[in-house]
Amino acid sequence: MDYTRRDFLKATLGTSTLLSFASTTPHFLVHSAMGAATRRDERDTVLVVVQLSGGNDGLNTLVPYGDDEYGRNRSTLRLPTEKLHKIDSMMGFHPRMGAFARLYKKGNLSVIQSVGYPNSDRSHEGAMRIWHTADPDRPNCQTGWIGSAADSVWNLKTTNTPAVFVGPITQPFALNAEKAVLPSIRSLDDLIIKRMPGDSQRQNSTFGESNHLLDFLRRSTLSAYTDSRRVEAAAKATANTAEYPSFHLADTFRTVAQLVRADVGIRIFFVEFGGGGIGGFDNHANQLGNHCALLHQLSESVAAFVNDLKLDKLLDRVLLMTFSEFGRTVKENGRRGTDHGAAAPVFLAGGKVKGGLIGARPSLTDLDSGAPKFHTDFRRLYAAVLDRWLGFESRTVLGRQFEPLDILSA
Amino acid sequence: MVLQIDKRPANNQSKKAHLAETEKLADPDWAWSEYQPDTQRPWNIAQAGHLYRRAAFGATWDQLQQALSDGPHRTIDKLLRPQGDIGEFNSTYDEYESSGTGSVDGLRAWWLRRMVLTPHPLLEKMTLFWHSHFATNSGKVKNARLMRKHIQLLRGHALNSFREMLKGISQDPAMLIWLGAEANRKARPNENFVLPLMEIFTLGPDKFTEKDVQDTARAFTGWFVLRSQLRYISREHDANLKQILGQKGNFTADDVLRILLEQTATAQTLVRKLYRWLICETEEPNPKLIAPLAQSFAKDYDILKLLEKMLRSNLFFSPAAYRQRIKCPVEFALGIVKPLEEVVSTTQLAQDLADIGQNLYHPPTVKGWIGGQHWINNATMAGRHNLALALLQGSGLYGDKLNPRAVAKKHGCSTPESATGFLLDLFLQGDLTSGVREALHKTTGTPAYASDTEPADTVRRFAHAVVTLPEFHLA
Repeated sequence: MDYTRRDFLKATLGTSTLLSFASTTPHFLVHSAMGAATRRDERDTVLVVVQLSGGNDGLNTLVPYGDDEYGRNRSTLRLPTEKLHKIDSMMGFHPRMGAFARLYKKGNLSVIQSVGYPNSDRSHEGAMRIWHTADPDRPNCQTGWIGSAADSVWNLKTTNTPAVFVGPITQPFALNAEKAVLPSIRSLDDLIIKRMPGDSQRQNSTFGESNHLLDFLRRSTLSAYTDSRRVEAAAKATANTAEYPSFHLADTFRTVAQLVRADVGIRIFFVEFGGGGIGGFDNHANQLGNHCALLHQLSESVAAFVNDLKLDKLLDRVLLMTFSEFGRTVKENGRRGTDHGAAAPVFLAGGKVKGGLIGARPSLTDLDSGAPKFHTDFRRLYAAVLDRWLGFESRTVLGRQFEPLDILSA
Repeated sequence: MVLQIDKRPANNQSKKAHLAETEKLADPDWAWSEYQPDTQRPWNIAQAGHLYRRAAFGATWDQLQQALSDGPHRTIDKLLRPQGDIGEFNSTYDEYESSGTGSVDGLRAWWLRRMVLTPHPLLEKMTLFWHSHFATNSGKVKNARLMRKHIQLLRGHALNSFREMLKGISQDPAMLIWLGAEANRKARPNENFVLPLMEIFTLGPDKFTEKDVQDTARAFTGWFVLRSQLRYISREHDANLKQILGQKGNFTADDVLRILLEQTATAQTLVRKLYRWLICETEEPNPKLIAPLAQSFAKDYDILKLLEKMLRSNLFFSPAAYRQRIKCPVEFALGIVKPLEEVVSTTQLAQDLADIGQNLYHPPTVKGWIGGQHWINNATMAGRHNLALALLQGSGLYGDKLNPRAVAKKHGCSTPESATGFLLDLFLQGDLTSGVREALHKTTGTPAYASDTEPADTVRRFAHAVVTLPEFHLA
């Protein structure tokens, strides 16, 4: 791809598009819409949250091969040291995560180790709810952290959609907002306004006696049409250029990349991997093969996404973070599987990640009911992405101020 | 047929009148007096459309015409207390609901169908209002039978006594499960229900203290939901002295409800919320305007009486109310379906409405759908446009149930020219300037500009253009 984002905007959103709205739209509206179309904040950052459903076995993802306890506890699940992608004398990525290892070496990927919270909940639903609400103390909390983040930035100046879920399953609770309506997007089509056959260029709006609400609706109609065109153009422009492996997850990332490229003001994308319910990363028996396939898909898909954004010079605006509701037990369970654990690693990818390992390496002997203990509260991660990456106010979202983790490069 | 329709007075002429009216509207006596049409404020199709948007889910052409000949008083009579066997209609639908697949998806679909076909739309409109007031989300309750009973409870009281409804809600298993109030032990009073009870359902925020909440929770001890059933276990009830909102006694749950209903704040909360739902969401009403209604509502908590006062009022038929609300997704979709005199697949519709922010049986939080401008963002706006297209395109998921041309023909408008005029009046009661009409015709290729020869398609395009105008999103 040889054009920059600015060229892309110029190409897809020439003045002609907007002028076609003009016949019946008050001048100041056309004016401000054009302004909005060409003057989006260049620094607008994007967060992509990837949920690994089921409880990912962190110890077989980033493997502490240098710790004898690892081999001792994993008689059948132990991954062969020589096949690991070693990053130091202690740790190495899973054999099928070569792409993650390469990103790590380039400084586009970092790992936060042992992320969790006190008194770990070992049920999928309870633990997932905690990661979604960011409120372990209130099991009846009715909003998700991304929903609250969307509510916290709501204002009447823009009708941009602050956060979306991209995927076919029921919208994860993290996006539950008190006020904002956050859409679930199955494909780009959901954001493209379709016309009836034979319908020519649609006029947008009307003169007449003014009404505060009507002006708002005119603006948002205009804005939705503008976005629709951007998305349409982004879909066309990259349909065959960027290379992605043929996994569902990769397709989802392609959609996210297209929406980042379309520059429609979405600040948070939520992506799910593993099926949302039971299954996915939840491997109580015969873990090896299934886990291997999932990690391979994750690693390759993220790498394709990073590569796509990099080619388009968009990587510096994007931060991806994974999470899973919990890690797994250190000791395998006699059925070639592992059971529900507590803390787990979080992976960060993007152009502005600090790189390297963050946080303490999990001890394999000092355990929380058989699983690695947490060292880093996940809300410090949320605080970092909200305050420092998105420029939102984490205090409003999380109910109090957590010390943001140091995860970004200067 | 000739479409001779009273238009609202043009801008310039009415400016002085508006000004005078604005002053009058601040006077509660005048604002809440019954609207009597006169030359300044004529009864016309715009007012009839307004009434049917607020007190129902839109109107058919016949309903609009009937309203014009009946006048406001009689039309409102019919909306409040319709003739015909409402009871039979509702018990038939209750039966459909309980004999169906028993899934919440099914319940959502039945409800939408009921909204379209009911002879008493105000009842469904108010059930929807209460669904947002006593917002209970099936995602947590996970029991379709309890959710069905919950909505039935709301419907049963929707137009009757708020006192009775509140009592029902305080003993409703779905509500208690949703809020995490299944267990109210003497040793561990549960505040999960009583806090929303005070803050959202009745008094409003900042009208009570933490101590009030604690003692109210104690009054509710003994109530449990066990195996989806409400149970009272007397040895778990804390019978000791409590102090709630300044009153002292060995209060029980019933006492608490009585005390809450004695507070003027409760009636005010409800009148204010209904004002936003029925009259205007753009401006906070002046407390002076709310006071007299709250005062009389507090006497008997008769919901229908309160609605009657509001719907008949000068204020309701004033510019302070006209188009001063954004349609919720249900109102938007049914505002397309209802005038076209057919029912579409409501299973599909329920899903599409969920996608644009209103998932029936699943309000996002106990605060219900905040709505208003929150309904709208670029994604939901695209969703509304695409839903309108799916409903009107004559093929695909919704099939060809809705046929604007056939409806126009039925009412005597057989040429495409007359059909488009008809549709503007049907959907918007002509609330557009001539410049916009011209532009509409141009962009959809209506008669003079038509490039294709299939009039049905032209009319479909035109109908879609009308219901995707910014104006159409206004209730």
